[in-house]
Amino acid sequence: MKKNNMVAMILAGGRGSRLFDLTKKVAKPAVHYGGKYRIIDFPLSNCANSHIQTVGVLVQYESILLSSYSARSSTWGLDSKGGGVYVLSPREKDETGLGLYNGTADAIYQNRDFLDQEEADYVLVLSGDHIYKMDYEKMLQEHIDSKADATIAVIEVPMEEASRFGIMNCDKNDNIIEFEEKPKEPKSNLASMGIYIFSYKTLRKYLVDDAKKQDSAHDFGKNIIPNYLESGLKLKAYRFKGYWKDVGTISSLWEANMDLLEDNNGLDLFDPNWKIYTDDPANAPQIIGENAEISNALITQGAVVNGKVKHSVIFSEAKVNEDAVVTDSVVMNNAVIGKGAKLTRCLVMDDVKVPEKAVLGSKNSKDILLVSKAYLAKEGVGHE
Amino acid sequence: MSKILGLLNFEPSYVNVEGLEDYRPISATSVLGRYRVIDFMLSNFTNSGIDNIKVYLKNRPRSIVEHISGTSYNINSKSGNIQMLMGEGDFSNNAFYNVDVQAFKTYMEFIKTESASYVVIAPSHFIFKQDFSEMVNYHVKSRNDITVLYQAGTNLNDHALGGDLLTIDENGRVIAFDKNRGKYKKGNLSLETYVMDAITFKNLVDEASETSSLYSLSDIIADVVRAMRVGAYQHKGYCSCVSTLKEYHETNIELRQEKLLSKLIEDSWPIYTKTSDSSPTLYREGAVVKGSIVANGCQVEGTVVDSVIGRNVVIKEGAVIKNSVILPDTFIDKNVKLENAVVDRLAIVTHIKELKGTAEKPIYIKRGDRI
Repeated sequence: MKKNNMVAMILAGGRGSRLFDLTKKVAKPAVHYGGKYRIIDFPLSNCANSHIQTVGVLVQYESILLSSYSARSSTWGLDSKGGGVYVLSPREKDETGLGLYNGTADAIYQNRDFLDQEEADYVLVLSGDHIYKMDYEKMLQEHIDSKADATIAVIEVPMEEASRFGIMNCDKNDNIIEFEEKPKEPKSNLASMGIYIFSYKTLRKYLVDDAKKQDSAHDFGKNIIPNYLESGLKLKAYRFKGYWKDVGTISSLWEANMDLLEDNNGLDLFDPNWKIYTDDPANAPQIIGENAEISNALITQGAVVNGKVKHSVIFSEAKVNEDAVVTDSVVMNNAVIGKGAKLTRCLVMDDVKVPEKAVLGSKNSKDILLVSKAYLAKEGVGHE
Repeated sequence: MSKILGLLNFEPSYVNVEGLEDYRPISATSVLGRYRVIDFMLSNFTNSGIDNIKVYLKNRPRSIVEHISGTSYNINSKSGNIQMLMGEGDFSNNAFYNVDVQAFKTYMEFIKTESASYVVIAPSHFIFKQDFSEMVNYHVKSRNDITVLYQAGTNLNDHALGGDLLTIDENGRVIAFDKNRGKYKKGNLSLETYVMDAITFKNLVDEASETSSLYSLSDIIADVVRAMRVGAYQHKGYCSCVSTLKEYHETNIELRQEKLLSKLIEDSWPIYTKTSDSSPTLYREGAVVKGSIVANGCQVEGTVVDSVIGRNVVIKEGAVIKNSVILPDTFIDKNVKLENAVVDRLAIVTHIKELKGTAEKPIYIKRGDRI
């Protein structure tokens, strides 16, 4: 197998607190998505499809499930000789003792021994909670061809939304000349996707310097990139066109699921040349009952549908019972929608049992209702 | 459990699945959308704690070899093993290779009589759920020389024709083997699953091959019912012998019902198969789907009723599929109407707008055909 000398480091430690109950026990990258996937399947599959062999997954918040899931390298075909998926959590060290990852740059800094050991020439820094398909090998080629010290993937966003992102201001050759984090008056609409390729030697030096600075946030966007720019190093923007979503909120996670129901959604999960790999549980095929009605839905293996499903995504082993009506909703793994229940604009969490005849969510509500066990208990649904 | 060796036999000569078997053995044929027939028997082995398995292969072994890997079947990658044994050297061109005994004899060196004290020989053209460890326990307790699995069959006049019928005495001993020629509806159908110790197995294989080069394992067992203690062990629950196209079609169509399928596949008895990493199935606006099993990776715009749809199948708008089995990677174009059909892999149905078979005689569309 051909090998490239780039090691990917996936930052997967974030909690994603705006996902509320969804991430109470599970780190955001391990949240389910699109029927059969977990969010982290996307960067991991991208790595595998880009011929990267060694991937570090940097975990911190509620990492039991995420770590055990990521460690099964063979799921993504990342189990070649000399390669693998390595789960890297904060650990006790001789000089500094036990400490957490304090910032994105600090997380990589604390794992420089790993990168040294892997003899990485290039380091690809990724987020574990973005949904997109990207060929990192092409990006690496551009990084090498342009002799850049760092290459940052950027995506064009609508100008009126640019102030929500980290914005890269570039010259006409896409050399980055300025970085502005959430600028009030953005000068460009090229948003950083949080995907960086660094030549490791230089990066290592800057990480070590940054670690010594007391006042640093040890963050790539806030510290490392500005330091690179200040020193006159070459930073290149790599333009990405296509589907990219940072699912930070319940409504954006819901939206990302709904996107899969659209033709030409840009993610094209059916593309045989860029498969997204995921765990393959040994569950039964999906069963569509005699009285089921299904229209515009994405349904996966193990699901059982006996009710009505309209414009919704139904995950593994979820059940929609007789006369239940699920509209504009996401029903996650193992959830059961009881007989005659009506759900509209809901996101039903894993393992939740929605009682018979419950009516949840509404067509007119602006927000998506997160149906969790805690929500059902609080609202007394099913306990009348 | 390491003392039990699983032997997966190839199909006997009465198996004749019109059309489908021109391309692969029945064991490698797609069933219920996401499985191959062999997955059920291999999962019986591994779920019974038997993870040293020999798979005997006859002709066209490619699809089985591609499909089977130890990791898919939950087999320990160090202590467990699936070994595929196919015709090599002189006997691959030998007509007698059609008999299982010749294959068993050729590879007898792999069956170490000292380490595997018992062998479980199972067929590759049956679908049923059976805990073999329970059957071995029964075999040991009853002090049988050979134990045969059977089912009280109810529609044998037009099922499993050519299979073995057992005559069982009041003590549960098999006293005669007869071929099922469809004369009676009811009878004790052998599930062609045998438990015996490895030495008995070796002796029987030797004896069979000395008797005649046409002798199969079931022939020799039929011969020894007086000399040896051959016991019967009853299987209860769903069982299907897939020996004809009609039985293949029927098995798929009946198992699409949740109440039957949920007894065959349980949380405590998973059926393992190789993943194809397909996306979930997308049902577009206007799709009508009822009473069906649909595998992942499909894109459905048309109508699917009481059918089984394999992986990565495209069904365009206006198409109507009823009582049919659509194998993976096929394309059913706009307004095509299919009823009681079996569409083999990679077929494209576009020009012919209506094809109708019957449950008795389903219509078969060839692999890769463009019609």
